[in-house]
Amino acid sequence: MVVQNLSENLQKNLTAIKKILPSEDILTYVFETADKTACAIVYADGIVNKQWLGDLIARPLSKLDFMQEIGQNTKNEGTMSALKLEIIKKNALFPELKEVEKLLDIHKEILNGNSLVLVDGLSVGLIVGAKFIPVRAVTEPPTDVAVRGPREGFIEDIKTNMSLIRKRLKTPDLRFESVRLGKQSDTIVSICWLEGTSNPSVKEEVLQKLQSVQLDCVPDSSYVSAILSPRKHSVFHSVGKTEKPDIFTAKISEGRVGILVDGSPIALTVPYILTEDLQSSEDYFISPFAATIFRLLRFVSLFVALLLPAFYVSAQLFKIQLLPLGLTLTIASSSRELPLSPSLEMFVVLFLLETLKEASIRMPKYVGMSLSVVGALVLGDTAVSAGFLSTPAIIVVAFSGICLYTVPNFVETGSILRWLFLLVSGSIGPFGIVLSAAFLLYYLLSADAFGAPALAPFSPLNIHDLRDSVVKYDLADLKSRPRLLQSKNKTRLSVKKENYHEK
Amino acid sequence: MKNNLIAPKADIVNSRQIALAGACLLPAARLLEAPSILAKYAAGDLLLPAILHFLLQGGLLFALLFACSRSEKTLFERLEIQFGKWSALVYIALSVYYLFSAILPLFDLEKFTYAVFFDTAPTSFSFLFFFLFSAFMCVKGLKTLSRTADICLFLYLIPFILLLAMGCFATDFTRLLPLFGNEFGDTMYAMKYSTPHFSDALLLLPLLGNLRYKKGDTVKILAGYSAGALGSLFFFATFFSIFSSIAPREHYAFAKIAQYFPALDIVGRFDLLFVYMLTIVLFYYTAMPLQFTTNLFCQAIGTRRTVLVSTTLNGGLLVFLLFCNKFYNTVYTVISGKLSFLFWVCAGVFTLLFSLLPDLKKKEKKNA
Repeated sequence: MVVQNLSENLQKNLTAIKKILPSEDILTYVFETADKTACAIVYADGIVNKQWLGDLIARPLSKLDFMQEIGQNTKNEGTMSALKLEIIKKNALFPELKEVEKLLDIHKEILNGNSLVLVDGLSVGLIVGAKFIPVRAVTEPPTDVAVRGPREGFIEDIKTNMSLIRKRLKTPDLRFESVRLGKQSDTIVSICWLEGTSNPSVKEEVLQKLQSVQLDCVPDSSYVSAILSPRKHSVFHSVGKTEKPDIFTAKISEGRVGILVDGSPIALTVPYILTEDLQSSEDYFISPFAATIFRLLRFVSLFVALLLPAFYVSAQLFKIQLLPLGLTLTIASSSRELPLSPSLEMFVVLFLLETLKEASIRMPKYVGMSLSVVGALVLGDTAVSAGFLSTPAIIVVAFSGICLYTVPNFVETGSILRWLFLLVSGSIGPFGIVLSAAFLLYYLLSADAFGAPALAPFSPLNIHDLRDSVVKYDLADLKSRPRLLQSKNKTRLSVKKENYHEK
Repeated sequence: MKNNLIAPKADIVNSRQIALAGACLLPAARLLEAPSILAKYAAGDLLLPAILHFLLQGGLLFALLFACSRSEKTLFERLEIQFGKWSALVYIALSVYYLFSAILPLFDLEKFTYAVFFDTAPTSFSFLFFFLFSAFMCVKGLKTLSRTADICLFLYLIPFILLLAMGCFATDFTRLLPLFGNEFGDTMYAMKYSTPHFSDALLLLPLLGNLRYKKGDTVKILAGYSAGALGSLFFFATFFSIFSSIAPREHYAFAKIAQYFPALDIVGRFDLLFVYMLTIVLFYYTAMPLQFTTNLFCQAIGTRRTVLVSTTLNGGLLVFLLFCNKFYNTVYTVISGKLSFLFWVCAGVFTLLFSLLPDLKKKEKKNA
């Protein structure tokens, strides 16, 4: 039977801890004080700074003579144990100290990277915050590269990520609340919000959802994202994702609620709307005109990416009028002797693109170069020369593929939708495309998450919020927070226009 | 009869959405057959019957809005307070009306689909996929439908303006002259046969029935409806001034209105992309009465099994359409000719019924 509380016998305590934590990486360092009182430090190897433990705990304690110390402080009152504990605390040169009595608490602390100091004759242990987990440097995230603007990215360590946010939001209103998720991983999930700015009901909903699920392991924030999503089988995101602290803090300061997960460099934000995918952090660092043009470009590119292959097939099979006569003749001449039907041809080319994409992500970098050669030249050029595929089909798919990457957060969803549109266009032509578009749109109209409709601010129409949607207004015109977020603190910018702009 | 009505949640609709439905969703009804029917009977005077329709429908809408304004409770809440369990009968009558009013738009949409989406011979089953969409739409509540009105602002307005602008290259508005060049009887005929395409007030009733009235809503909604009506009138005028004497044979006008735009010869029929955008609105418009039927029927019988009701309804209509496809002309003549009075009768009866619901404001004041 496991002992619930620590006893005064050091050896007994160490045996009890070893029973709970029998793993080889849980180490015990036993030493003696100057008056021969036995002490021990229990810690998990590899996640503790041993130098700190030696210099700041073991060395001072080994020079300690309890009887002498107690004798000098004759005014001290209380039991011998309490006095001993006071003396240890005074001599340990460590700022993070915590008393523990229960063995259950102890094993959690040790596994989290903290160390336990035990002294013979004391039924209380001291937890020392000497955690030291090696982390990678803060670098620019590969998925979210900015030409202008901050280049820092989140890393896997939650404390570092929290510090990156705190660095940008130096306000007492910034709050973090942590919960632990995962029976085995015991992962820290931290909810982050600005008190008085974010909608409290959103934070409560997040907390409730997180507490309602018990997983074995939470290796990444995508698990948390799945828990938070109200629609489990949707191809559309319900939760925003970013690897950049500048974007994350901007969203928090708008009134959203953020979620950080220990071990994941991807932070989550809610509520999330589809328009966010069209926005880039750079839009706020360049002129509003340029930002609007780039956003429109992304918007159009997205539609081209999703619909171009489908319309290409439709134009050949069902609605020839969609293309000008000259182009129709060119396509007809290049695809005249092809063995495949237009839809099957497009299916093959799209399959090739998706396969190449998937392989180039997984493949080691040094093989990637060869893959490009094989993919672009051998597969593309040779397939055309062999009369297996037509050049226009390859151009269409390549252009569609490029267009999709103008909205990186939409790539997964876009790929699926592109297949869907291709399938219906090959079956019932442009009617199928339009019907699918109407279907998807209607689905999105009813898709709410954390009180925010996915198609906001277009539906429900919010003219105020349109200022930062597909179009981007000047900073001075974005005085209020988005109404969608129902923030109590509505003003985010106060500007004297005559000073801000020249008259 | 057991009182098992399930009143929908309040505040699922707001006046902006109803106004936008009047401005951008209902005019979709006039995009397909209405212009050619009006041109067939009224020729250059095609605007006259349309104006009369709009005035009458506007009057009915005003009466319904006036009824809304007489209490802080919604029309449907007041109906249930007044008639209790018997209000289910009103809901059932309304759902039957919407089912009836959905038939012509369905036929129109089917013919339009085959004419505009296919250069090659389509299979007769192609259109049936529409019922999958419609069944999905019927399952969703009024909240989603009212949001549709918001999104239709973009889906309708942008392509509509662009198509009209492209169409203007071939217009000759003098073709509408002389004004009142036709006999008044022809105008009346035109009005009679185009009635199903102008039955707007009742199509807004389920939305108005759930509206919690606020000051200024009447102006907002009537302004929205008037904007939609003006847009439709301009569309009719453009249509006739392009096609003139061949206008009666030019069905599905909005798909053809821009075809004489000079640039299309060089870059292909890109106007079709705008037509397709408008078709999305047309899909919503066509499935809207079916959604009302489903919702009102479920509300009347007190069930939440909308999936079952929607599947049955759309399945039934699919079979109906398959069988009656060959009798398109007969169905059309019967509904728009012989039965067109039903649209007016229903509009009058339901408007009167809701207008006569007691003034709860006065009652509340008296009780206070």
